[in-house]
Amino acid sequence: MHIHAYEKLWLAASILLILLLIGSVTYGAVGPGIAMVSDTEPAIDAGGLDEDERFSEPRVEQVGENEYEAYVVAYQFGFEPNPIVVPENSRVTFYVTSRDVIHGFEVAGTNANTMVVPGEVSEITVETDEPQEYGLLCNEYCGAGHHVMEGKVHVVSQAEFEEQQSGGDGE
Amino acid sequence: MGQNETAHPSADEVGGGDEEFDPIGTLTLIGIYFAILVLSWLFIYYIEFLGRDLVVVG
Repeated sequence: MHIHAYEKLWLAASILLILLLIGSVTYGAVGPGIAMVSDTEPAIDAGGLDEDERFSEPRVEQVGENEYEAYVVAYQFGFEPNPIVVPENSRVTFYVTSRDVIHGFEVAGTNANTMVVPGEVSEITVETDEPQEYGLLCNEYCGAGHHVMEGKVHVVSQAEFEEQQSGGDGE
Repeated sequence: MGQNETAHPSADEVGGGDEEFDPIGTLTLIGIYFAILVLSWLFIYYIEFLGRDLVVVG
């Protein structure tokens, strides 16, 4: 079969493009460690969040050196806790659930973004850098007040975080 | 275009060979599109996506 030289050229170019796409996604997974929203959390009773040890009292908790877990409840129309205060330069895992309808959990302007489904727990782990204030919003239409459903994620210094924790919990 | 400028049609091409057909304009266009695609992919993935804060790592 005869193939024109130009035809070969752009066939090669498209194969190169495919390799570049697959290559960069592989690099993202291996290098910076990009991951998906985890689906390993077991289902919970959306109506019984009051009795759930994690979600009856939405909070941020230290679970290891520089490792924190944030238990967040989304509801019509807000997030709890608000603001979610996490320390700088740490690894924070958000466990987010809803007690009513489907919501979204999007830390505005960042890659931290997941759907929040009643009865399910969405788990995303992120690494924080410098102290900063982020907006938090719902990106799934959840009712008449959807447009006012927002929260805040505050990344604060270690000292400020400890002060807040000891002040807030009475520890 | 270059490879055919001095080529003489050989016997087997008399029946309608395509070597005389050199769509250099199409090749140039595809080259430009290709460059735009590659540059935008590099920008979108490595700068916009990986450069944002709070990258999901688990």
